[in-house]
Amino acid sequence: MPPDRASATDANRASLFADYDLGGFFDEVFDADNHVRPHYAPLLAGLDRFTPEDLVRRARIRDAAFRSQGITFTVYDEGEGIERTFPMDLLPRIVPADEWQHIEDGLVQRVTALNSFLDDLYVGEGAAIHDGIIPIWLVETSDGFNREAFGIPVPLGARCLVAGVDLVRDGEGTYLVLEDNLRNPSGVSYVIENRVAMTRVLPTVFANQQIRSVDHYGRSLLNALNRVAPPASGDRPTVVVLTPGVFNSAYFEHVFLASQMGVELVEGRDLVVDDHVVSMRTTQGLQRVDVIYRRIDDAFLDPVVFRSDSTLGVPGLMAAARAGNVTIANAVGNGVADDKAVYAYVPELIRYYLGEEPILPNVDTYLLWDEDQRSEVLDRLDELVIKPVAEAGGYGIVIGPAASDAELEACRVNIEADPRNYIAQEVVSLSRHPSLVDDHLEGRHIDLRPFVLSGGDIEVIPGGLTRVAMQRGSLVVSSSQGGGSKDTWVLAKGAELVVDSDAETHDGTEPAADDVEELS
Amino acid sequence: MRLDIRYRTTFTYENLVRESQNELRACPRSDENQGLISYRLQTWPSSKVFAFTDYWGTRVDAFGIRLPHVSLEVVAESSVETFQRPLLTVAPHLETLRDPAFISAHHEYLQRSPHADWGRGIEAEARRQRELVGDDVVSLVLAVHRVTGARITYARGATEVGIEVEEVLSQGKGVCQDFAHLAVALCRSQGIPARYVSGYLFTRDDSVGADVTDGDVVEVQTHAWFEAAIPGFGWLALDPTNQKEVGVRHVKIGHGRDYDDVQPLRGIFCGSSSPTVEPRVEIRRVRTNASPVFDRHVRDPQMEHQQQQ
Repeated sequence: MPPDRASATDANRASLFADYDLGGFFDEVFDADNHVRPHYAPLLAGLDRFTPEDLVRRARIRDAAFRSQGITFTVYDEGEGIERTFPMDLLPRIVPADEWQHIEDGLVQRVTALNSFLDDLYVGEGAAIHDGIIPIWLVETSDGFNREAFGIPVPLGARCLVAGVDLVRDGEGTYLVLEDNLRNPSGVSYVIENRVAMTRVLPTVFANQQIRSVDHYGRSLLNALNRVAPPASGDRPTVVVLTPGVFNSAYFEHVFLASQMGVELVEGRDLVVDDHVVSMRTTQGLQRVDVIYRRIDDAFLDPVVFRSDSTLGVPGLMAAARAGNVTIANAVGNGVADDKAVYAYVPELIRYYLGEEPILPNVDTYLLWDEDQRSEVLDRLDELVIKPVAEAGGYGIVIGPAASDAELEACRVNIEADPRNYIAQEVVSLSRHPSLVDDHLEGRHIDLRPFVLSGGDIEVIPGGLTRVAMQRGSLVVSSSQGGGSKDTWVLAKGAELVVDSDAETHDGTEPAADDVEELS
Repeated sequence: MRLDIRYRTTFTYENLVRESQNELRACPRSDENQGLISYRLQTWPSSKVFAFTDYWGTRVDAFGIRLPHVSLEVVAESSVETFQRPLLTVAPHLETLRDPAFISAHHEYLQRSPHADWGRGIEAEARRQRELVGDDVVSLVLAVHRVTGARITYARGATEVGIEVEEVLSQGKGVCQDFAHLAVALCRSQGIPARYVSGYLFTRDDSVGADVTDGDVVEVQTHAWFEAAIPGFGWLALDPTNQKEVGVRHVKIGHGRDYDDVQPLRGIFCGSSSPTVEPRVEIRRVRTNASPVFDRHVRDPQMEHQQQQ
């Protein structure tokens, strides 16, 4: 039994953590010597008053709350596309202020460089290409490089208006960038809803904590969208959220964001273009629209320019954007910058555009069109992670150590047929976090998707979506792959000082938490 | 040669349609082989035209008609002067195609594209030509040009846009777009960068491309040909449909990977009836010192926001 846990006065904690095994991984809560990391001490003290049965009961309350709110996520791989809740684990993840500062600095730097790169490609001179930072053919063969967006300016160059940058921690606890999501990153609704749910289900654990709030996200997003409005739209631009409709896996989030911002949620058929101006059909007639926060993929956005069979989009929208009469966010064509092969060049792009060393490193990545790298990768296929370059959400990933011989062979054939379409990465020994499994806690691998807003200044929401691989040992933590999530607490600066030994020696004499009946 | 071109397309619908949105690529480009003198676009019903230059360097006119209408007529008039092209004076070895800088500069034109994809048939034909002509690029391009003409017979309406090039080759019939796509695919399959060109040809019959001797006005359709990149020279333009080098009677609108990048008119509308489409191109040769038929100067298309009456 680890010393910390053996010495705990409370028997509940002992039973919650009974048989808890670090498994040789970097654990977010315990250090290598099994000591509780200081920023987790108040939380663990707060948990002391709960028996395992209490937690299980609260997990049920949580499930009922989420279901009644309609917070669901469609998993496409399971045949029909099954709507299910995206379970929030009851133990929050805590990031201390100094660690968060490091993350925030790294994200601001990265997104600044990515915005510069995209502007350079679409409305600039392609300087990074001419100067040999990134090969032109790599850009030209990226599925996300949309020539249709060439020459369309975006106010303030804020092309990645919402970026979701996935971070992981390795065996030493170093934060690494796993991938950039610059098209339509989803998940921010869970960040906000998880916080709300935590305060309802386990209000007492917030005691003695200075946690930075995330509930201003809607205001920050609206602010960023207002700032990228075309100059002619005046002080109060009209912003709308454009959704593909109720069948989209993130429809809940589209509704949520529109309501958080207090703007209209529209579908393509609600908008019409006249003389290169976009308007929304309302009961009072047409109303001009200045900024569209679209949650529709590029290919479906405008049937005149992209797929002519798309009924989700708005005919004439691209010309309207080009004429400067409407701003589309995120910008069209961002996919070239979150292409997983282009990802490998992002550290160089940071150096090139900003003259700075990258603050957050990439995961070691192999580019498979290079013969030497490819042959090394093919020799070590069973040790590496192979990813298709243009997919998001964990689709198509092959994890070498976990793959069958047949899967590895299929992977080899795919790589040899189209090496540009895949990258290989070293397996990152992802950090783990205690998560409630039945009536006890087990370590589960996690990642972190913080949300970054560009609109002139770059703002990082203090928190993010911590995703949990719910299956034991699984390294895929995408919400599309049936994972769970955690509320993510970023501590305010100086908050660590508030946390003192009081918490650790809490005697648990307070009444066993709040009454949960009010939830129903 | 000075040519005045009148591109006209009329859509007639059985029932009212509305919210039509369109992109037109009908304006001749200016480059080292031709100079645009004037260009003017009108639509009926009238519309506000937004003009821009696309990724491929082609002028695009975007316009929409929101209110209900039963017909849409688009007329684009241009005046252009075409120049004699330089003679080919190089004969680079096929090895020069492997130069990494050359490949990098022409990467987009070496890839498969939806209308210029190739399979075994095309690859075998291209290899056969390669074996016949030896190891210089120009000879191989000319052989591709010849074999395209030899393997396909021009047949108006023989194919629809979207047919696979392999199928064109096996059925042996096609229109000018098919000739161009097949030549492009044959070149690319051998590592020669090739691009599809959309344009106009001043001829009485675009299947033979004969010079016009009996008058100065012809009625044709938009035409298509191809260009291949020759190391140390530039783009060599050939018209495989009528087996001629591209010259002063060819007027280029633009180029791209295939038809989709330079489609003359694409659009969409709301309504239940399918239109009757009447495309027509009238080309008039303007004899020296004659004043142009359509006299109107074009401003920088990128900046242009012109309101048509």
